[in-house]
Amino acid sequence: MSDLVRFDGVSLGYGRSPVLTGVTFAVPEGDFLGVVGPNGSGKTTIIRAMLGTLLPLAGTVTKTAGLRFGYVPQRDQVDSLFPLSVNDVVIMGRYDRIPLGRRPGPDDRRAARQALEQVGVPHLADRNLSRLSGGQKQRVLIARALVGDPNVLVLDEPTNGMDLVSTTQILGLVRDLHDQRGLTVVMVSHALNEVANYVHRIGLVFEQKLRLGTVSEIINEEVLSQVYGLPVEVHTFDGHRVVVARRPAGPPSHV
Amino acid sequence: MFETIALFREALYGALIIGVGCAVLGVYVVLRRIVFVGAALAQLSSAGIALAIWLGGLGLFGTNHAYTIGMSLVVTLGGALFFGVGGGRRFLHHEAGIGVTYAVAAALGILLIAKAASGEAHDIFLQGNILGITRHETIELLAVIGPVLLLHFALAKEFTFVSFDPETAQTLGYRVTRWNLLLYLTIGVVIAFAMQSAGVLLVFNFLVLPAVTGLLLARSMHGAFGYSIASAVLASVVGFSLSIPLDLPTGPTIIAMSGLVALVAWWVRRTRGE
Repeated sequence: MSDLVRFDGVSLGYGRSPVLTGVTFAVPEGDFLGVVGPNGSGKTTIIRAMLGTLLPLAGTVTKTAGLRFGYVPQRDQVDSLFPLSVNDVVIMGRYDRIPLGRRPGPDDRRAARQALEQVGVPHLADRNLSRLSGGQKQRVLIARALVGDPNVLVLDEPTNGMDLVSTTQILGLVRDLHDQRGLTVVMVSHALNEVANYVHRIGLVFEQKLRLGTVSEIINEEVLSQVYGLPVEVHTFDGHRVVVARRPAGPPSHV
Repeated sequence: MFETIALFREALYGALIIGVGCAVLGVYVVLRRIVFVGAALAQLSSAGIALAIWLGGLGLFGTNHAYTIGMSLVVTLGGALFFGVGGGRRFLHHEAGIGVTYAVAAALGILLIAKAASGEAHDIFLQGNILGITRHETIELLAVIGPVLLLHFALAKEFTFVSFDPETAQTLGYRVTRWNLLLYLTIGVVIAFAMQSAGVLLVFNFLVLPAVTGLLLARSMHGAFGYSIASAVLASVVGFSLSIPLDLPTGPTIIAMSGLVALVAWWVRRTRGE
């Protein structure tokens, strides 16, 4: 499998201060990579560099020519004040193909309908985005990412703030897209339990570095206890990994 | 009454042009939560006018309309440029920067006018003199605001996308900073020209209240622009028509009407149960 994206000795940050240094990894075609780590560790920074919206302070990010990303931002980043229908939002994923000053045409509307069908919500096409539940909104944002026919689907915290059912459905949908369409997926999440059971490889962001490995190399008690500074246990239940953080030993809390 | 209104018809045309122009741009201003950028740019524009008058009084600058509008344009576009590229954000919260600009520009405008040899009253900047609009100024407003509206009509898709989700727009190759800059510059141009006749309060009103009405009533972006324009036209016509027979200041009457229309829109939205 050829590498679609390659990071070589990359330092990333905002202003002059680096958030991450010496980042070296590749995303081969057909990969399902989860990027995990504590809050504020720089997970989103990595995908910004991958998408080209953040330039590296040092090193190089190389992408295959003609590579198209389908980006699914964090749900709360999408403003619900805008009076936009689901269809309007999905078609935005094709705006880079529509010439400046032109309106979307029948082909764009057809592609939007197909993308909504792929994520299972064609009936929401005319609904206002702000009236949707978190899970529905996330499906719409995935449809917008798919409508541009991407090579790589990049998701930033796709299940943040969702209940158990919506989380399972969204992650199942992403895995189906990977399995059935052969789509390369890069997913950022702080939820270890979710990532551990869906992805092929994990990139753990910790102390300004990215540590890459298989799920069992990263999701184990030794590594996670070190990263999170807490005793962490990893259990397996019916083929699923369950990560549990224990409260550190100390005086009993009165709260 | 109709004869008196006919006498001031240029003022009505002027108010309508300014109202429609600001109503369209105001939709972005409200949606992007940059309402006070509009206020700060209007104050910068008034400071530019005051600077031109003060320099003119000292004999260092021309004193006719072209000089005041030129200075107002330079100062307002400077502000638009600053806000458009997110100036000062590294050191200061964006809203704080807007507040500082607003306060300093307002004070500077008043101080310069107080010391200007021509001694114009400073409240003209707050209330404007909408009734004093001439045919020439109406044509000038149309010549400036018309192309801005055409540009916004042509690029509505792009302006909406970069306003709604700039990060995704950037991943699709949109140069978001440049689009923001273009949006701010068009707002700056309209404000600089509108300020000459409408004053800070009326311009600020037209940038905010019609858009709020539009967004309360609309279920689509097209609807938001349509309702916003309609409410600006309604408030201008009714406010203007009432102000003359009732001997009320025209600008504040139009603003009161805009407020009333927004209140009705809020009630309609509430009764829809949304």
